[in-house]
Amino acid sequence: MSRKKITYTVPRMGYTYAAFESFFKILGYDVIIPEPTNTETIKEGVSNSPEYMCFPFKILLGQFERVLEKNPDRYFKVVSLESYGPCRFGYYSPLYYKILRDKGFTNFEIVNIEGIYPPLYKGIPRFFKKLVKLTGWHAPWTVVKAFVIAGWKVYALEQLEKKLYHLIPREKVTGSTEKIFNAAVERIRHAPNKVKAIKKILNEELEKMENNPHVERDDLPKIGLVGEAYILMDYSNNLDIEKKLAYMGVDVDRSLRVTNWTLDRLIKAKSHKAHMLEVNKGYLDFFIGGDGQESIMNTILYKKAGYDGVIQAQPFGCLPETAAKEILTKVSEDYDIPVLSLAFDEQTGEAGFVTRLEAFVDMIKSRRQMKEEKKESVTVEN
Amino acid sequence: MKIGIPRALYFYVYYPMWYGFFSSLGHEMKLSIPTNKEIINLGVSHSVDDICISVKVFHGHVKYLLNKDVDFVFVPRIASEEKYKYTCPKLAALPDLMKSAFVSDAGRILTATFYTRQGDKPIIEAFEEIGRQLGDPEEKVKRATKEGIKYQNLATKALRSGHTFLDIVKNIKNLEELIKRPVEKKRYTVALAGFPYDVYDTFTNGDVISKLEDSGVGIVTTDMLDPKVYKHYSKYMIKDLFWYQANAAAKGGMYYIDSPDIDGIISISSFNCGISSIYQKLLDLYSKEIGKPVMHIIVDEQTGDAGLATRIEAFIDLIRVKRGDGLVSQENNLHGTENGVHVRSV
Repeated sequence: MSRKKITYTVPRMGYTYAAFESFFKILGYDVIIPEPTNTETIKEGVSNSPEYMCFPFKILLGQFERVLEKNPDRYFKVVSLESYGPCRFGYYSPLYYKILRDKGFTNFEIVNIEGIYPPLYKGIPRFFKKLVKLTGWHAPWTVVKAFVIAGWKVYALEQLEKKLYHLIPREKVTGSTEKIFNAAVERIRHAPNKVKAIKKILNEELEKMENNPHVERDDLPKIGLVGEAYILMDYSNNLDIEKKLAYMGVDVDRSLRVTNWTLDRLIKAKSHKAHMLEVNKGYLDFFIGGDGQESIMNTILYKKAGYDGVIQAQPFGCLPETAAKEILTKVSEDYDIPVLSLAFDEQTGEAGFVTRLEAFVDMIKSRRQMKEEKKESVTVEN
Repeated sequence: MKIGIPRALYFYVYYPMWYGFFSSLGHEMKLSIPTNKEIINLGVSHSVDDICISVKVFHGHVKYLLNKDVDFVFVPRIASEEKYKYTCPKLAALPDLMKSAFVSDAGRILTATFYTRQGDKPIIEAFEEIGRQLGDPEEKVKRATKEGIKYQNLATKALRSGHTFLDIVKNIKNLEELIKRPVEKKRYTVALAGFPYDVYDTFTNGDVISKLEDSGVGIVTTDMLDPKVYKHYSKYMIKDLFWYQANAAAKGGMYYIDSPDIDGIISISSFNCGISSIYQKLLDLYSKEIGKPVMHIIVDEQTGDAGLATRIEAFIDLIRVKRGDGLVSQENNLHGTENGVHVRSV
């Protein structure tokens, strides 16, 4: 094989792109990160994908196409994360390949990373072959180091994000925390490749955010977010739902993050599944792929943790999530927790979306009030 | 006991097995009526709005049966039809969907998880589970299972010899006779690619099969093919799809695109069916390379009959022109209705 200069491009997902970027930079490659989802990428993706394909596929296709189009003189390795399972997520890369080739692009190859799937005697060698194809030949410790650094960056970014959404409804000057956060993301992105340095930056930035004037309180309405991973984890796909809710004065929590998603899927898969089956008993006790089962489980767990409402975010026509949606109506009745299902597609308008969120938040606030009044009347009677 | 069997989804694949099983146990079977407007309305009002039309129709059939005087409605969970291949998530969650859609009747839904075509053992286990729920003696259940598998094998044979599944449902009592009956060969043959429940549900797909047959075009479907004949298309697809039926539709469609005695391919899918979007794209790209006409029909609860008839006529004209027969002559181009079915001779 001729030694071509290879450039990597990875799916952009939330703020974690910084981690993927550093992973490939440590291995000594160029990386081009696609721009955040915008009307251009969506238009590009939608016009070339099958009509009823999932929305994440269309977004990613659009992102990759834009990258390939803008850099015709580079040779790309397009990284695609996949799983083998009953959801369409597992068939992304062959379609990327076919559609991009059909469009006339030749300066790319697709590298898909997928888990080990049966039969094992074929699956394990295939997994390692793909890994080598992904990283190229490197000393194993370089790859391990890159993994560790990328992992730490993901962790740091998630901690910062958590802090941000905790502080926004409590800050004294609206928007001040976000400014600090944006600077912090940049700092983490360009942090030197040492665990110690990342830790230090993280602690400094967390302290800076903490010192931003705010009022600590715990009587805010609480909303949990469940749904499909890619829509949920990428802020540009879900129209910044978390930030919007936070600015409406809601304590918001997202059930899926890159760290717990990977842990649950890869390392703690067995115990995670057993836990899920236990919680979901009577609702959905069968593996349907995607994040459908997680959505149901997390809704129940949120109720148990005292949350006031749950929002399910899903791409339009997502196979597991539509199944989950129908079951969630029953869960919502049985557990007495309001659930709002939002389907995202290329036509989601921002104004209508905000109105729906506002209505949901208002409803939750009045429900809280009613509950408190009830409590008071009970104590008076006693 | 009286057992209701919804005439939707996997009915169009495994009805012979269920017929053999339940009739051998001596239970009375009640099939829901073929899909009509009433059933679709029932289904639409009992399901969430963005689920695919096939599952909506299934809701309608189940509700129809629950309203009738049956003890159980049979909703099997077909989890996997081939090793390492699964069914669509919505179908894998079907019994759970039914239980949450019809909460008050949840106890009347008879279900078991089937792993078909992975040998007989998982089928036997699933039927044992059903036997337990119905309270039938084990010995009898075993015999009935054998009977069910026998019927299914006969039906597969009938399919391979070119009979549609609708013929099989009609002649369920004398399948052996049906296998021997030859299939008439027509001048034009169109292949229907798609999931059996989309291809055979004559109301939701606007009766494509009779429209074609009445116009003098023979049809073949992808479920008539033995999976062995299209195995080699995995290479073109890079990676197998995870759903047995989608694989059958995609690879079967490609097989028909390549076979010289098929004039065109019509793929039928239901609105918002996520899986068909993949195989339709694959068929599109493949037909572009080979150069055979492929038409996609996507049906929903609002499909109008006239528009579909026009599209099929245009497709037939296209096939005729490709064969060098020219367009349909003016005197043959008369439109009439026989039992409400649009007829035009070729």
